[in-house]
Amino acid sequence: MTDFTAPRLDHPPRPLAQRVGAILWPSFFAAGVATMVFFAFVDPLALRDLTFPQLQISRGLGYTLGFFTFWLATASSSLFTWILLRPASRFNRPLPPR
Amino acid sequence: MAKTQIPLNVLDTGGSAYVSERKVYPRDVSGPLNRLRVAAVIWLLGMYYVFPWLSWDGRQAVLFDLPARKFFVFGLTFWPQDFVFLAMLLMIAALALFFFTALAGRLWCGYACPQTVWTEVFLWMERAIEGDRHKRMKLDAGPWTRDKLLRKGAKHLVWLLFALWTGFTFVGFFTPIRDLAARAWPFQWGGWETFWVLFYALATWGNAGFLREQVCKYMCPYARFQSAMFDRNTLIIAYDPMRGEPRGPRKRGIASVLERARGLLDARTAYDYVFRAGKHPSAATQAAQAKGTITWDGDLGTVEPLPKFAPEELGDCIDCTICVQVCPTGIDIRNGLQYECIACGACIDACDEVMAKMGYPKGLIRYSTQNAIDGRSSRVLRPRIVLYGLILLGLAGGWAWGVSHRSPLIAEVLRDRNALYQQTGEHLVNGYTLKLVNKTDAAQAYRIRLEADPALRLRLTGEPLELRVPAGAVAAQAIEIDAPADVRGRHPVTLVVEAADGSARARLDSAFFGPIR
Repeated sequence: MTDFTAPRLDHPPRPLAQRVGAILWPSFFAAGVATMVFFAFVDPLALRDLTFPQLQISRGLGYTLGFFTFWLATASSSLFTWILLRPASRFNRPLPPR
Repeated sequence: MAKTQIPLNVLDTGGSAYVSERKVYPRDVSGPLNRLRVAAVIWLLGMYYVFPWLSWDGRQAVLFDLPARKFFVFGLTFWPQDFVFLAMLLMIAALALFFFTALAGRLWCGYACPQTVWTEVFLWMERAIEGDRHKRMKLDAGPWTRDKLLRKGAKHLVWLLFALWTGFTFVGFFTPIRDLAARAWPFQWGGWETFWVLFYALATWGNAGFLREQVCKYMCPYARFQSAMFDRNTLIIAYDPMRGEPRGPRKRGIASVLERARGLLDARTAYDYVFRAGKHPSAATQAAQAKGTITWDGDLGTVEPLPKFAPEELGDCIDCTICVQVCPTGIDIRNGLQYECIACGACIDACDEVMAKMGYPKGLIRYSTQNAIDGRSSRVLRPRIVLYGLILLGLAGGWAWGVSHRSPLIAEVLRDRNALYQQTGEHLVNGYTLKLVNKTDAAQAYRIRLEADPALRLRLTGEPLELRVPAGAVAAQAIEIDAPADVRGRHPVTLVVEAADGSARARLDSAFFGPIR
C-alpha cells in the first residue's frame, strides 16, 4: 500500500554553540556591512541634529549606536529564521510530566 | 596515500531532493463553529471593505494620510508625535493574544487571522466553481479537458478580481478611496498607487489561493511559540481517545460506549491504541492523506498492529476520517494536539454531525482542556490569566486615557546653535526658535510670555507676543530675549505658551546665556 505519510525530514538538535553562532555571526557580519554603507553617506552628527538635537551624541557614540541597532535588527531576523526552520518534531512534543 | 572512499548514496526520488507540499483539499463543513467563523469573516472583512467608504466630519472616516503625516481614525487624529500610542496599541494586541491564547487556545488563528479569513473566502469561491473536496481532487488529478480549463480559468478570474478589489481597498486606506475610484476610469493612478494595488492583490491571491496552510505551518511564528502560553487548563481542540478508541467501522445498531457496558477505556490503553493506529494507519486513514508530524522519542522497537476488535469492543470513533478531510491544515486531530492545528473547530463540527447520524452523543472531538480530557478538573482563573488580564486592562485603560487626554498643542523651543549670545551696544540678545503644533481642527492664537528672575530684567522682544497657527499646522517662529549688557553666565528661563481661548497651555524651559565673566 502507498505510504501517504510525508517523509520525515528531521535533524537532531545542533549544539548550542552552533545555534548561537549561526544566529549571531551572520547578523554581526551583515550589521557591519550595513553600518559601513550607511555611515559612508550619513554623518552621525547630521543625523543627531535632525532627530535629537538636545542630546550630546558624539560621532563615536553615533557609530556605536548605529552598529548595535543594525545588529539588533539583523540578529532578530536571524533568530526568526532559526525559529521557522526548526522541524515540527521540536513543537509536537508530549506535555511535560506534571 | 590511503585509498578512502566517500560513501555516496543516490537519492531515489525521481530527480529532486525536495519534497513538494501535498495540496490540502478541505471538505465543506457546517455547524455552529463554522457559522461563528462565517460571522467573523463577514464582520472583519466587512470592516476592511466598508470602512474606507465611510465619512466623518466631511472627510474619509479611516484614512492613514502618509504625505500629510496624519492618521484619521473616525473622530481621532493621530500625529507623528502620537507614535507612542501606536507602540502601546501593538503591546495591547500582543498581550491580548497572550491572554486569549492562555484562556482558549488559538482563537485568533481559527477566526480572526487575515490568513484564515481570506483563505476562507477564497475557498468559498473555489468550492462554488470546482465543487467540494472529492470533485476538486478528481479535477486536479484528471487531464486538462475543456471543463477543467474553464473551471480553473473561472476560479482564477474570480480570485483575481477579488484580489484586485482587496488591493484597491488597501490603497484606499492611504489615499482617499473615492478619489482613487474616480481616477480608475479613465486610468489616472500614480505609479506607486498602481504598484501597491497590484502588490497587495498578488499577495492576497498567493497567500489565500496557494500558500494557505503553509503560511501557518512554515511562516507564522505564533504557531511556534504558542506552547509558551498553553497549559493543561487551556481550551484546545481535543479528541477523546478514552471514548473513541479502538476506532473502526461498524454496522448500525451498536450504541455509543457512553450507553453500553464497555464504557470509557483507561487512559493508558486508549493512548496505546492511538499510538499503534498512528503507526499502522487503516486504509481509510491513509486515503484521507493526513500529514503526520507527531514524533516519538527513543527507540520504539517494533510496534504491533492493532488486532481486529469485536463490534462491542469498539469505541465511538467510526474511522470515517471526515475530521481529517475537513481539516484546513490536513492533520489528523486524533493523534492529539499538534502545532499545525489552527483551532478552527472544523473537525468538531464534522464529528458532531457524524455522531448525530450514528445516534451517538456529540463531543467525541470537542473544545476541552487537557485536564478535562484526563478526567481532572479545569481551572479558568489561574495566575497567568489574572496577570495577563490585569496588565491588559491597565494598558487598555492607559491607552484610552492617554488618547482622550492628548494635549492639543505641542510646543518646543530650541536655542540658536550659532552663537551663545550677541552683544549689541547696551544689550545682550539670545535667539531661539519656537515651534508650535496646533493639533486641533480650528485655527488658534497663542500668547507667549517669558518667566525669569525679575532681577535680571530679561525681556521677550515684542512681548506680549501672539502667534496664530492654522488648523492642524506647524508654525516655527524665531524669537529673541534681550537683557542688559551686565548679565553674566547661564540663567534658566521659562516660556509660557497659552491658547487665547485657554484650551491649551505649555511651559518650555530653556536658558539665557551672557558672557562667562
